[in-house]
Amino acid sequence: MASKWVPTACGMCYVGCGIRVLVEDGVAVSIEGDPNNPQNQGVMCAKGKAGIMNLYNPHRIKVPLKRTNPKRGLHEDPGWKEISWDEALTTIAAKLDGIRDDPKKLYVQAWEVTGDCFYWLLALGSAFGTPHLMGNASATCGKVIHPVEFFSGGGFHQQPDLHYCNYCILIGTQFGLGARGAFNHITLDMAEARARGMKVVVIDPVGSYAASKANEWIPIRPGTDTAFALSMLHVLLNELGIYDARFLKHKTNAPYLVGSNGRYIREPGSGKPLVFDATDQRVKTHDDPTASDPAITGAGEGGRPAFELLREHVAKYPPEKTEEITTIPAATLRRLAQEFGEAASVGATMTIDGVTLPYRPACVDWAKGPQGHKHGFHQSWPLKLLNIVMGAVNVPGGILSTAAAGKRPHRWWPEGGTDGLLEEGGHVLPLPHPKAFPGRTPTKPFRMDLAELFPLAPHFHTLLPITCQDRERYGLSYGIEMMLHAPTNSLLGSFGDLKMVESFYQSIPFIAGFAVEINETNLFDDIVLPFPSYLERSDFVAGTNLLIPHCGKDDWLWQIRQSVVEPPAGMRQPQEVIMEIADRLGLLGDFYRLLNHAFRLKEPYALQPGQRYPITEVIDRMARSWFGEEHDLGWFREHGVIRIPRDVEEAYIGPFLEARLPIYLEHFLQRGEELKEVISQMGLEWDLSDYRPLSDWMPCPSYNAIRNGRYDLIAVHYKLPYVYGSFGNENPWINEICERTPYAYNVLVNEDVAKAKGISDGDEVWLESPATKVRAKAKLTQCIHPQVVGVAGHFGHWSPGMPIARGKGINFNSLLPTDLEHIDKISTALDHCVEVRLYK
Amino acid sequence: MAQPNQEENFMEEGNVAIINVKFMGDLRALLQQRAITLALPPGSTVGDLFASLCNSYGEPFTSRVFSGSGALQHYILVFLDGQNIKELGGLGARLGNGEVEIVMLPMFEGG
Ligand code: SF4
Repeated sequence: MASKWVPTACGMCYVGCGIRVLVEDGVAVSIEGDPNNPQNQGVMCAKGKAGIMNLYNPHRIKVPLKRTNPKRGLHEDPGWKEISWDEALTTIAAKLDGIRDDPKKLYVQAWEVTGDCFYWLLALGSAFGTPHLMGNASATCGKVIHPVEFFSGGGFHQQPDLHYCNYCILIGTQFGLGARGAFNHITLDMAEARARGMKVVVIDPVGSYAASKANEWIPIRPGTDTAFALSMLHVLLNELGIYDARFLKHKTNAPYLVGSNGRYIREPGSGKPLVFDATDQRVKTHDDPTASDPAITGAGEGGRPAFELLREHVAKYPPEKTEEITTIPAATLRRLAQEFGEAASVGATMTIDGVTLPYRPACVDWAKGPQGHKHGFHQSWPLKLLNIVMGAVNVPGGILSTAAAGKRPHRWWPEGGTDGLLEEGGHVLPLPHPKAFPGRTPTKPFRMDLAELFPLAPHFHTLLPITCQDRERYGLSYGIEMMLHAPTNSLLGSFGDLKMVESFYQSIPFIAGFAVEINETNLFDDIVLPFPSYLERSDFVAGTNLLIPHCGKDDWLWQIRQSVVEPPAGMRQPQEVIMEIADRLGLLGDFYRLLNHAFRLKEPYALQPGQRYPITEVIDRMARSWFGEEHDLGWFREHGVIRIPRDVEEAYIGPFLEARLPIYLEHFLQRGEELKEVISQMGLEWDLSDYRPLSDWMPCPSYNAIRNGRYDLIAVHYKLPYVYGSFGNENPWINEICERTPYAYNVLVNEDVAKAKGISDGDEVWLESPATKVRAKAKLTQCIHPQVVGVAGHFGHWSPGMPIARGKGINFNSLLPTDLEHIDKISTALDHCVEVRLYK
Repeated sequence: MAQPNQEENFMEEGNVAIINVKFMGDLRALLQQRAITLALPPGSTVGDLFASLCNSYGEPFTSRVFSGSGALQHYILVFLDGQNIKELGGLGARLGNGEVEIVMLPMFEGG
């Protein structure tokens, strides 16, 4: 029997752990974590271990299909007919050719970040010339964290420094305990940090996996994070007087003088913001090297330092007031603020590898929870401010920016820009990154997703189901006529109310997409293209280690994915399919220009117009171009991963960053005024209240719905460590876990609340939101806020192509009303806390 | 939307540089053009080319391409004869008789 271990990258979720697969006579029989890969340090999760069952899923799609039933709907049988690759690609190319004179009629739903397909689909869409490129999966997650992180940290995401942090507050995230990039690496780091005494406080409506490991779980009413954060800031800044004055003076816009109109006071000639230097009592530009002590308190000529405004502003949020909003007792909040402030050790330093750095071993981390609200930006931003005022950003023990900087194999580094503030984020691929500073000038939209009316947002797809209902209202005289999509099940995971998504997809005359199995999104396809398992694929980008790796001094890494078993006969690699579509359209040169740029390919490695390549040759060119001739595809096939040590500067970029971080968002005023002008010209009604430089708490629709008694509970979503999106749900092992635990397919209800309603553990109940009504099974628990219903994972499948997953659990997103009233006007996040009734 | 002056208008003036400009990404859809040919005075820079394009295409083009401070937005890529202008001195790079590609890319990734 021929038997071998093959190194590759897991593709059961976006993380991309290094794995070794045991292949016996061409059959994958076992998967282990690769101990040499820093991404996961030999550890795997249940999803990854179960990947073999997806590989050998008998319901996988292995040949192209076309629909024969012209009617499309959530529950329409497409009437699939097998077709040849040539027929499939000829049809797709002809449809694209039909709209090439008006390329904006193409919508590319590209999210699939386990491999290259995402980048290649985006490049195809850009070469074609459409602006409608969907580059993110969720209707909420990522809408705020990335634009905030790029302007206030420098990288893609944030991560507590588990090597040195002593006090870690997690808000609306299960970081290191149930979720997040580099998951298996950070779970080990988290375990070690807890073992050495790091205190973990979880603030979340649901007492889930993270809470079960925390020192303290504090339930909070959904959609009230702003009030919590502003109150914490008030206690720290006004009651305790704990903040990093030195950092604020020299590394933030805290000393910038602000006039009574909320704008910076600027030097007349240069337009540069001014500060007041306490040393010689003179007003100077922010970058004047003689400004040795820029004041952050008091008043300068004609203006006040931004920090003074912040302090005054947060004083409006004493803990006693916010207790009514958040339900967190005032005494608890004061204690947390005191513990956090003391743990931050303002003024302390630490020496690592001979370099002395500020040491701030306390931080606040947040992710999906605070972003998913009607005012998602302002729910989240003041949480980041808690770290900034402590100086706990990109220094040992504080909050770190992921993948923000590196020196090898290329140099990438965040940079300052407008008004001396951090403007250019760091990214190993030289591609535009999502950021909310300085934003864009709003203008009358030509985009179907109204991107022009969201000048500070990075993604816009949540608007598509809304605008397609009434294009004329937004001055749009065309419709999307074709959609190309990745195998991701966006219908269930990327939007809200399913009736709205159905109507959007029905409005598109032609849809073609990849499929692993026929999921609910594929039910709308006219043409289905089979997508290989990650164990049959080759990818240069194998997961998200380029964006959300582990932070700190552990090695940087690059890995490639190689096929460990032969794909089924006739299966094609997705990159080669996309390349062929570009070629058939005569766009290969433009497509290669974009790929060569994205992957930094120069002569002699650059892809040449007029040539088509097997994907293995493309990966070989990329590998040699990045890592030298000796590290070709063959080297990676043998070793799987290359490790590159990070030095102190790369690990803790804060002190080395030549840019200030914001505490006051002056540019929000400018963008708001510009938008007001455009909106009034268009005759639209638009809520501009989010365009403010300092955050205020503003309630979600569900908060008011509860107060006026129309509903009595708020449903929220939470993640499971053994389920990623709806990816991998069609898997008997994952299903077995979900069936054995009461926390996956059931909805969580507070025990006392349920009993008062006459509901017992395990009862079948109705869960009714303004968008829909679904049948669910109740799991009674004390581990949930009494006003909340918890819905886990991404379930609720009905596609016949997913017989294991079908009819199990519920789809949370389907509960979400989808209209402009539920969209954050800064970030485009769709409100994820929804009022519900629960009854038998 | 205003259209740029085409090559022949400039050719009459004699000594000119002929610049082929190709649009990719959002700009292709915005301008509803894949490529244009322009004639500019010899010695013109990429900045001069953009000034000409802003003049021709007006506010919808200008507001997408430039940030308030007058710098190119971070999602605008410009290649001159295949080379990124960042490596050639940015907007000050000399055009020669070059092929210019202007690309507006999506902000990508996330969540
Ligand atoms: S965390 Fe994701 S990539 Fe890692 S083993 Fe689990 S499923 Fe695979």
